[in-house]
Amino acid sequence: MAELQGLGAELSEAEKAGVEIVAVSPDPNERSHTMAEGLHLGYRFLADRDLAVCRRYGLIHAHGGPNGEDVPRPATVVLDRDGVVRWMSLSNNFQVRPDPGDVLRAVRTL
Amino acid sequence: MRATPLALASLLLAVGAPVAYGLLIRVPLVRNHPGAYVMAFALAVALAVVALAHGRGRRWPAWIALGVSGLLLVAGSWFNLVGARVPATPTALRIGERAPDFTLPDATGRPVSLAEFRGKKPVVLVFYRGYW
Repeated sequence: MAELQGLGAELSEAEKAGVEIVAVSPDPNERSHTMAEGLHLGYRFLADRDLAVCRRYGLIHAHGGPNGEDVPRPATVVLDRDGVVRWMSLSNNFQVRPDPGDVLRAVRTL
Repeated sequence: MRATPLALASLLLAVGAPVAYGLLIRVPLVRNHPGAYVMAFALAVALAVVALAHGRGRRWPAWIALGVSGLLLVAGSWFNLVGARVPATPTALRIGERAPDFTLPDATGRPVSLAEFRGKKPVVLVFYRGYW
């Protein structure tokens, strides 16, 4: 979650209105909702319970979960207004996430 | 040079590094350099070795420091190089191509489709593990 908070902190109010931050995880809706309210970030939390979207996107870390279950491969993807991928960052170490500054630079070039 | 202060410095470094990493996890510069805590463990091992080799006075604190820092060095190296690795897998996303559309329920249960934002706003899609 740290990267989500970082992203929100660096976005000005004007930018928050101009960009949609969509966070996808297998977390159930109730948990995401609690988190979304707690963070006050205006993100959309979408629940990919069975990882169908992660699988379709090819973003699966097989058996990467604490109990050996499949989990999403941490990824940040910037889409332009036409839904075209303009920038992405796929992590090779789940401790490492893109710097929010880099994500915002990619958004600002659109 | 007395052995005990060196041993204490080694212990402080070995235990302090992961604690500091945990506390500063929200700072991208810290978070994105997990190798730094492995370096700190290595330095703590070196301090304990110096304490044992050249230190005067009691030796058992230096042995404890060597044990703790050695264990953390092995565990930390394993975690950083093996445990936390995410294997590279082919992704369906290509720079310059449209991301496949999807519809998923939002926090209130309302279905949200990626296509809703088309022609309106850029989108930052963040895939995360959830419990992290």
